[in-house]
Amino acid sequence: MSPVATQSRALDEKTTGKVFHDLRSFLKVLEAEGQLVRIKEEVDPEEIGAAGRASANLKNGPAVLFEKVRGYRNPVVTNVHGSWANHALMMGMDKDTPVKEQFLELNRRWTKYPVPPERVKDAPVKENIMTENINIFEVLSLYRINTYDSGCFLSKACIVSADPEDPTNYNKVNLGTYRMQVKGKDKLGIQALPFHDIGIQLTKAEALNKPLPIAICLGCDPLTTFMSSTPIRYDQSEFDYVGALNNGVPMKITKSPTYGLDIPAGCEVCIEGYIEPRVRECEGPFGEFPGSYSGARLQGVVKIKSISYRNNPIFENLYLGMPWSEIDYLLALNTSVPLYQMLKETFPEVEAVNAMYTHGIGAIISTKVRFGGFAKAVAMRLLTTPHGMPYAKIIIVVDEYVDPFNLEQVMWAMTTRVDPDKDVSIIKNCPGMPLDPSSNPPGMHNKLIIDATAPKAPEKVSRDTELLMAPAGTEKWEKIISQLQKQSKN
Amino acid sequence: MICPRCETDKVNLMVKSPVGNVWEIYICETCTYSWRSTESADKTDPKLYAQSFKIAPNEIPKLLVIPPIPPLKG
Repeated sequence: MSPVATQSRALDEKTTGKVFHDLRSFLKVLEAEGQLVRIKEEVDPEEIGAAGRASANLKNGPAVLFEKVRGYRNPVVTNVHGSWANHALMMGMDKDTPVKEQFLELNRRWTKYPVPPERVKDAPVKENIMTENINIFEVLSLYRINTYDSGCFLSKACIVSADPEDPTNYNKVNLGTYRMQVKGKDKLGIQALPFHDIGIQLTKAEALNKPLPIAICLGCDPLTTFMSSTPIRYDQSEFDYVGALNNGVPMKITKSPTYGLDIPAGCEVCIEGYIEPRVRECEGPFGEFPGSYSGARLQGVVKIKSISYRNNPIFENLYLGMPWSEIDYLLALNTSVPLYQMLKETFPEVEAVNAMYTHGIGAIISTKVRFGGFAKAVAMRLLTTPHGMPYAKIIIVVDEYVDPFNLEQVMWAMTTRVDPDKDVSIIKNCPGMPLDPSSNPPGMHNKLIIDATAPKAPEKVSRDTELLMAPAGTEKWEKIISQLQKQSKN
Repeated sequence: MICPRCETDKVNLMVKSPVGNVWEIYICETCTYSWRSTESADKTDPKLYAQSFKIAPNEIPKLLVIPPIPPLKG
């Protein structure tokens, strides 16, 4: 049994796992745990972005709820996922749970897939609906996130759409997070990159010259928002994964009022509309997750047909900027876990994957090495996963005894294992992530693999490397010293 | 009114504040840049808007198309 499985089983026994079916119940827990602060005074809309940046700068920064936003009716919350404490609470774990333990627990729950959702007819999001004189500003307190964004953006919208060629296929229903620029009271822009599921669906709809209906869900329960930005296979259901990550408790979904799409029943707001076929319009720039602005592009246009919302809807949005900000916490383990699972299918030797750096543009793999060149082959497998293909650019491979979440250990492996002449490989002219400013032209990458594992035959092994193991009694002394240190503080 | 970003004059009122008539948001028909009347001058004044973020109207049709528009089927 691998260390991952062993440690996960231990967690299974001690984790009770609180399940959230909407955003509000999660915010209550955050507040009770000291991980949410309220701003009761009225603020200008454009102050919210700065507060999101500020909170993510703090160690275990809280969510920030703005009760009154100047000129608007409803509150805004930001930085809901923006710390490891909030991330742990999202899974019903203790807020002090270390990152590696959160990774292991997510992996344990991941294998519960599929857990189909419970379908409900009535849902709080149906308390109000706007179908005429649509004005998104009446419901959402919209604001510019970063100085040179081209307008107000939805940065945390969970968007539901179906496959135009197979619209009744539940498994092909997509829930994904894509940036949306507000362009009018009933008009939005959308970024649908070709390798994203919604890009595939839009291309199919446009080949038929048909509009693509979508349901834009805002303020979902925290694990639904988490899964919405998790890379999984095209024919896998995000809803079934939310149930798995809820530790086997099904999420609740309902039919959207206008298009009958499956939506999270607990969301605060559901905007329904369609992407106009074969229409593109200037969109962006937008401050993006790589920590720089994307350029302006010609992108899709959405016409809004209805807005459903809970009473006193809370607008949830996130700040994204130079890492780390809320988006880095949101994308850290939801990138690492699926990549680990995909690698493990082919290479059971893989122990863990840390793909927390800029949505997996940087990734560290820890693996047992069976023979010379094995580490490089594992890295190449990462580059052929659906997410790794465009995103992963710099991959470091370390031995199984190196913790990829411990950067000091990774640097040790790099400094003592890498012979730059044979262990560094560049693979040219590969698919790339166009929002990475080093992608040249946008959408193309050269990939870098660093093999920081110890050499194995038949690779030439110049000399045997005997690891310096901790002297007997080290664990005992860790406990004694740690206890004495605690006592000296008191 | 002139768009701070592309400096064309096709600017529309997008919305007035739902509460209290305390601001308006304007949008440029040409480049879709939008701004709130209460934002700082570096976002609303064409003379103070950062040069590196300006966009020339004749460059807009040449921007990258995402995703590419496919050929029609059948």
